[in-house]
Amino acid sequence: MECGNYSRFSSRREFLSRATCGLGLAALHSLAAETPRSFPNFAPRAKRVIYLFQSGGPSHLDLFDHKPAIEDRFDQDIPASVFGGQRVTGMVAHQDRFPIVPSMYEFRRHGQSGRWLSSLIPRTAAIADEICLIRSMHTEAINHDPAITLLQTGSQLPGRPSLGSWIDYGLGGANSNLPAFVVLNSLPANGMPDQGLLSRLWSAGFLPSRHQGVQFRTGADPVPYLSNPPGMTREQRRDQLDGLAALNRRQHERAGDPEIETRIAQYEMAFRMQASVPELADTSNEPDHVHALYGEESRRAGTFAANCLLARRLAERDVRFIQLYHRGWDHHGGLTEKLPALARDTDRASAALVLDLKQRGMLEDTLVIWGGEFGRTPYGQGAVKPQSYGRDHHGRVFSLWMAGGGVKPGHEHGASDDFGFNVAENGVHVHDLQATILHLLGIDHERLTFKFQGRQFRLTDVHGRVVREILA
Amino acid sequence: MYSFLLALLAAAAFAADNTRVDYGRDVRPILSENCFHCHGQDAKKRMAGLRLDTYEGATAQREGRAALRPGRPKESGIVRRITEPKPALRMPPAHSNRTLTAEQIATLQRWIAEGGRYSKHWAFTPPTRPGIPTTATPGWTRTPVDSFVLARLNAEGLRPSPAAPAAAWLRRVSLDLTGLPPSPERLAGFAADLNTRGEAAYGAAVDKLLESTAYGERMAMDWLDVARYADTHGFNNDAARSMWRWRDWVIDSFNANMPYDRFLTEQLAGDLLPEPALEQRIATGYGRNHVINSEGGIIDEEYRVEYVADRVRTLGMSWLGLSLECSRCHDHKYDPITQKDHYRFYAFFNNVPEIGEDGRVANAVPMIPAPSNEHRRRMEELEASVARLDRAIEARAQRWSGDASRVPSAPKTADGPAVRIGCETDAGFEKAPGVDGHACVLAADAKPETAAVAVAKRGGLTLAAWVRPGPDDRDAALLSAMDFARNRAATTYGNGIEWRLTGGEMEFRFGQRFPAYSTRVRSEGAGLAAGEWHHAVLRYEGEAGANRGHASWVRMFVDGREVAARTLNDGFPLPDAKGDKPAQTKFRAGWDNGPGAPRFTGRLDEVEAWERALSPAEIRAMFESRAIPFARSSGEGRSWLRDAAMRASDPAYAEARGQRDKLHAELLALRRSIPTVMVMQEMSPPRETRVLNRGAYDAPGEKVEPGVPEELLGAWPEGAPRNRLGLAKWLVKPDHPLTARVVVNRFWQQLFGQGLVRTSENFGVQGESPSHPELLDWLAREFVDSGWDVKGLIKGIVLSATYRQDSSVTPALVARDPGNRLLARGPRFRLPAEIIRDQALAASGLLDAKVGGPSVFPYQPAGMYKGIVVAADYPGTSYVESTGGDLYRRGLYTFWKRTAPHPAMTVFDAPDREFCVVRRSSTNTPLQALTLMNDPVFVEASRKLAERAIREGGSTPESRLARAFLLAAGREPDAVESRVLREAFDKQHAAFLADAKRALALLSTGASPRDESIPAAELAAYAVVANMILNLDEVVTKG
Repeated sequence: MECGNYSRFSSRREFLSRATCGLGLAALHSLAAETPRSFPNFAPRAKRVIYLFQSGGPSHLDLFDHKPAIEDRFDQDIPASVFGGQRVTGMVAHQDRFPIVPSMYEFRRHGQSGRWLSSLIPRTAAIADEICLIRSMHTEAINHDPAITLLQTGSQLPGRPSLGSWIDYGLGGANSNLPAFVVLNSLPANGMPDQGLLSRLWSAGFLPSRHQGVQFRTGADPVPYLSNPPGMTREQRRDQLDGLAALNRRQHERAGDPEIETRIAQYEMAFRMQASVPELADTSNEPDHVHALYGEESRRAGTFAANCLLARRLAERDVRFIQLYHRGWDHHGGLTEKLPALARDTDRASAALVLDLKQRGMLEDTLVIWGGEFGRTPYGQGAVKPQSYGRDHHGRVFSLWMAGGGVKPGHEHGASDDFGFNVAENGVHVHDLQATILHLLGIDHERLTFKFQGRQFRLTDVHGRVVREILA
Repeated sequence: MYSFLLALLAAAAFAADNTRVDYGRDVRPILSENCFHCHGQDAKKRMAGLRLDTYEGATAQREGRAALRPGRPKESGIVRRITEPKPALRMPPAHSNRTLTAEQIATLQRWIAEGGRYSKHWAFTPPTRPGIPTTATPGWTRTPVDSFVLARLNAEGLRPSPAAPAAAWLRRVSLDLTGLPPSPERLAGFAADLNTRGEAAYGAAVDKLLESTAYGERMAMDWLDVARYADTHGFNNDAARSMWRWRDWVIDSFNANMPYDRFLTEQLAGDLLPEPALEQRIATGYGRNHVINSEGGIIDEEYRVEYVADRVRTLGMSWLGLSLECSRCHDHKYDPITQKDHYRFYAFFNNVPEIGEDGRVANAVPMIPAPSNEHRRRMEELEASVARLDRAIEARAQRWSGDASRVPSAPKTADGPAVRIGCETDAGFEKAPGVDGHACVLAADAKPETAAVAVAKRGGLTLAAWVRPGPDDRDAALLSAMDFARNRAATTYGNGIEWRLTGGEMEFRFGQRFPAYSTRVRSEGAGLAAGEWHHAVLRYEGEAGANRGHASWVRMFVDGREVAARTLNDGFPLPDAKGDKPAQTKFRAGWDNGPGAPRFTGRLDEVEAWERALSPAEIRAMFESRAIPFARSSGEGRSWLRDAAMRASDPAYAEARGQRDKLHAELLALRRSIPTVMVMQEMSPPRETRVLNRGAYDAPGEKVEPGVPEELLGAWPEGAPRNRLGLAKWLVKPDHPLTARVVVNRFWQQLFGQGLVRTSENFGVQGESPSHPELLDWLAREFVDSGWDVKGLIKGIVLSATYRQDSSVTPALVARDPGNRLLARGPRFRLPAEIIRDQALAASGLLDAKVGGPSVFPYQPAGMYKGIVVAADYPGTSYVESTGGDLYRRGLYTFWKRTAPHPAMTVFDAPDREFCVVRRSSTNTPLQALTLMNDPVFVEASRKLAERAIREGGSTPESRLARAFLLAAGREPDAVESRVLREAFDKQHAAFLADAKRALALLSTGASPRDESIPAAELAAYAVVANMILNLDEVVTKG
């Protein structure tokens, strides 16, 4: 292939369009060692994923998992046979007993599917027939950091690539003007949550670092350093980058390194992002009825509602994996004050996102996931009253829902026991969930591997089973 | 299609030189990747009892057949099964997702036909010094390195590239050895030197770089990744830690060219060297740089085990080039490292007196004070002055013949203690002679307590007692209000406040989950000896509004004078100041409720608690008010009497005494201010180590002793202790097969962008074979034989013709050898994150070249921590920008927060440092472009580069732009480039002239003042072009 000199092109535009002729070689150079086997392995059901991660551990018992059998067992001890070898956290390790606390919230059946859901999440209840509820999730982890890390990277210990990075690595992006893996952090409406998030949750681990999630933030620069410095116009930037491309081109003639071609192209992408990202992040021109659907707080940047709306806009632009975080579900004490507020924060916008995607015909190929890193204990932490209690972390069973993207709508999978303590049937481990998400994207989780330190690593380690029962 | 083509090219490049199949190079990679998982050394996973990783296993008769029949491929089970037509019987099985290519099958067939010989993996055999190859075109070579490279190139039918221009070499070597570009003066000086001295100028230039302190900084950068250095603890809370004294030790060690075997030994076991110096103990911070979890509710042992495992992993990556963590849960699938081997390594690191849940607000135990050299100099001065005054005071006292009974009575304090146990009437004590009347002796089984004292964590408190320890009082409470509890994970911790006697010293403990989350301070030289009466005082002065406790709030006094104290733990968390009510606290006198707690057996008298911090003068008065009558009546404490009498009657003595106390107070204040560093320490007796089944902390199995896989990697050095020091000695044995190879390979990687073994983290059988095995071995031998001389090694490489080659490349060469494995051209790769920053700062003149010290906080987009970090007010949870010179320090000093590293670092592929990383990826992304375009530090550097170019670059735009170009790229632009720069300048100038406000806006970025003598529109235009120069591929690339 022949790549000409800049001077031979009559215009910048022609130069840039021709500049890509070196790119095939550049890609060959920098990707050859790390390109995975071709994906998808089979026809995908979902083209993109929106993961509404609820950090802190939402109480399955007060939201999704109706337990009539313990309604009148307040303050009784969890039977030893149920408790089993439960590992308890250091926070309740000194408690001499573990008294049952039934949920104080009313559960009712919803939709044609007759799903039992709590009165705390009326909007989610209204889309009961759209969602696929898994009530038998489980994890070994009992504390936030290892549990979140396991859910997002397949390992309790830091260092592995995140789910989004694996997907970016396997499938790449579908929009050359935007990153394939975008991260949105939400600030709760009612102040600061207490648990930290960790940038490693969207880190590429040992994958090439370009697969790391790109965090979109609120404010003038959704992406760090997106805006030109004060005083510099877009036209001036264009002129500057034209000069830069000319000089880089000259350098390429001299040095012949294909990486230079890539760099020229990346500056053009950066220039395009300077326009496309603010346009995408600006939701002010969404019609009023859309804001009404997501809730008025969707007008305030950085809220969960605003991020759900932004997630839809990213999905429309074919961003592959949109990872949204909402924090504050860690209700060791005062659950009955805090949980309703958290539920209010998320219920309307989560349901709105599903409805909005459906109205736009995007739900069928967009997978929406809602859930945390674990659930909460059926027993109370600290002093308990029927109307005032707290719950500790609980990984032995918890709930999570999905919608669209190839999962059965109005379906329920698995069950916990009468106490909401253990899996009663059809347990879904975190690795099974990951295998299923990859499957819906057309990826065989056993084939998405990367060789590091002499070993083929994969998201699901040596585990994971696709939960075929929930596939539509 | 491309990658297939590439594979063929690569195969052609690497297999052409030998006709015979080589087991290590050609066969083992195939078997290892496809067969060993089920037919390797892991007996638990072995299928059909067949083992293919040893000759014995492969040739064993199994039902009359053998997998390997040397010389007879058709009769060998291996060949039969890999060529089996029925998919269900074919190996490797379909479910493994592995298939053999036709070429691989042919290789295996040929190998068996040629005899099916096995050989030990190359990296497990000690390197021997290879002969230096002779080549047909020796004129090119300058060093033995070149002979090895040239021999390979000749074999491949390739020729080396011509030498890079001298200036390009100088820029390359400057960036490689110091991380900074050569200044125009240095470039000109080198050119002149080259004219006069020729070749000698190269060596002189390298020497100059090696002598600069920037060399140690550059070398430290890569090591900080390996040793996972960071400024926060990681995990959920990710609070700040203080390990910069260790980081500075690394910089200093490289600058002093510490022999590498010592560099290794001191980091691994500096504390175990005979009479270790402070710096040698600081060096062991290497073993403590791992992440530490302070999340409330974790199980201590689970995380303590992780820390030990991390040390093993890091050891493996740092010096063995092996992934030891694979054998944590089961025998290694590929390398001959068993699970037991893993836990024998683990046993070396399992004896640290540490806690799983720690480091919420400061360093985690064990830690030591680590004064800087400056600190130490001042401390030594003060210590010498105090000692001199002490001698003078003592000499004067010896000569004194006055009357010790004429002592003025001590002044009384205005208030009295809140609580006092006079020992005349208090219950729970038996009586014995005291300082003032009776003393208290704890009665058998009695549990006496004081009345309640109001203790405010941010308030003041003074605890005082006359103490006469019994002969068995090694460790006992004086006053304790710490409640101990034992949790289900069998961890005992304390909550509250306590004042103890321990080994003649006093100790203060205050915290929530002692020993975690606590402040713990111990006196040094208190001399509270058995059978002697002394007055001991603990003074605590909290600070209103502080968000955590500080050890510096605690001061200790014996016999009216302050004594030195050292911090064992620091920074216990304080609750929200709003609810800061003093707690009514009853102290247990002479006992505590800790597990197996010994009781105080000596005498106590005049036990007092004050709800405020008494002044040193008040403490002195309190002492003397009892000491003097007691000394008069008992005959004990003659020196107390004399001191008091002399102070009253001898002005010269009083002055010397006052001066001494003042300097001593200054010394102690200085000591309280010095940073700590986390270090390795040995417990005695050591913890028992057991194999952990599946690697789980709660599944201990067989007991193991510390040791190494001697059969595989060489014998334990004779007479070496079975501890980390012995381990270090083993690693630096001259015939160790791995250490020197792994280390020289990493230095090679730093210079060439990739190691001779590309997988620098893995020298095991799954790692890549070296591109130049003889060269690697030659370098390893040279390195060891030179006395592990790092500067010598590096100098030898950068002066080689190989390193000096031009880095430009033709399409044909890219196609032939895209990764430059054959070294037919010079190294060329994008600069590391830190150096991209350093170069821009240096070129613009903004760089603050201060070496070392606490990490700094350069510009960072506002709110980067928002929505990520924990809400609690722990140190390191808010980013407060530095001011002044600290805004312009080198990248390696940027505050490294593990859960939210600086975006300009991560975008250029810096790791988050949660784990050991020996090789960064190198990507090329639009976010990098945005950073260089818009990060305020690059915008500001562009402005300063423009100012500098205008100042230094003559009077025409061309000459000024050329100056800017030279400052950043290390060369003058050519005519075409010059034209592009000039056109760009003219366009920008016109734009800014049209709108002067925008010029001022652009120039306002950054804290440094602008040069107002330059018209704003002109300076702004130069700044935009300077920014363009800083964005050039050539500038961000080492070529």
